[in-house]
Amino acid sequence: GFCFFFFLKVRGPPLAGAFKERPTKPTAFRKFYERGDFPIALEHDTKGNKINWKVEIEKLDYHYYLPLFFDGLCEMTFPCEFFARQGIHDMLEHGGNKILPVIPELIIPIKNALSLRNRQVICITLKVLQHLVVSADMVGEALVPYYRQILPVLNIFKNMNVNSGDGIDYSQQKRENIGDLIQETLEIFERYGGETACINIKYMIPTYESC
Amino acid sequence: KRPEVSGVMAKADIKPKSTHDAKKWSADIENLYRFQQAGYRDEVEYKQVKQVDTVERWPETGFVKKLQRRDNTFNYFDKQRECKDKEVHKVKVYVY
Repeated sequence: GFCFFFFLKVRGPPLAGAFKERPTKPTAFRKFYERGDFPIALEHDTKGNKINWKVEIEKLDYHYYLPLFFDGLCEMTFPCEFFARQGIHDMLEHGGNKILPVIPELIIPIKNALSLRNRQVICITLKVLQHLVVSADMVGEALVPYYRQILPVLNIFKNMNVNSGDGIDYSQQKRENIGDLIQETLEIFERYGGETACINIKYMIPTYESC
Repeated sequence: KRPEVSGVMAKADIKPKSTHDAKKWSADIENLYRFQQAGYRDEVEYKQVKQVDTVERWPETGFVKKLQRRDNTFNYFDKQRECKDKEVHKVKVYVY
């Protein structure tokens, strides 16, 4: 027999780039920040990590400012990242019933932040989502119709847990382990999302296990 | 144990006699931490400077909720504890 051995190098399909970071675009938050349009004192001279608000939060128009601050979730550099994150925190902590009506306007900024596929941004956005859900009554349920917009990216990163053998994963302690954070966030969504939350989460994230 | 003053109606000339670092967290230490974050010694000085009788607090926990700084900007504080254990020693307790 006459055999030809063809040593073919078989390559797999090209990478689809699910985990690849997307480039950032300038945010509306940054534009407003650079124009000085925010009701916050921009000098960061406090010893701690507090924002100094020039206007009382109670008097702020949440429909205008909350989505703008959420837009800043895409920012990765100091001080924009700090002001966006801390601003959101203060507004959620003290917003009361002003938060619920604004939920629909927050979805696109949340989706944009998660779509960047940047680890730091995803971690911060997940912690913001957790705070959002508990910040006021009914917010958890109000988010259910938007799961199809915000959960798909989480599906990609859900199993991104480091196999460190019997080593110690310090990111868990600092709450920066993406896989664990996603699981934690989904559990909070389920707890506060009402009866239909679990089934809607599982529809978008089939590997989710109910708490 | 030295007495600590809190919630006292301020007179214009009240100044502390001594100070020491906090050792252990408590609700009083939490509130002191918040006043000091906002640039004041404690509630006594805040009421002197801002000329107010009351301070806005969270009804559920009694922690200070909102303070106005000397430059008239506002600092807001969480309902739950903010002062971590590793920051307790930075809180100064003033004795009158």
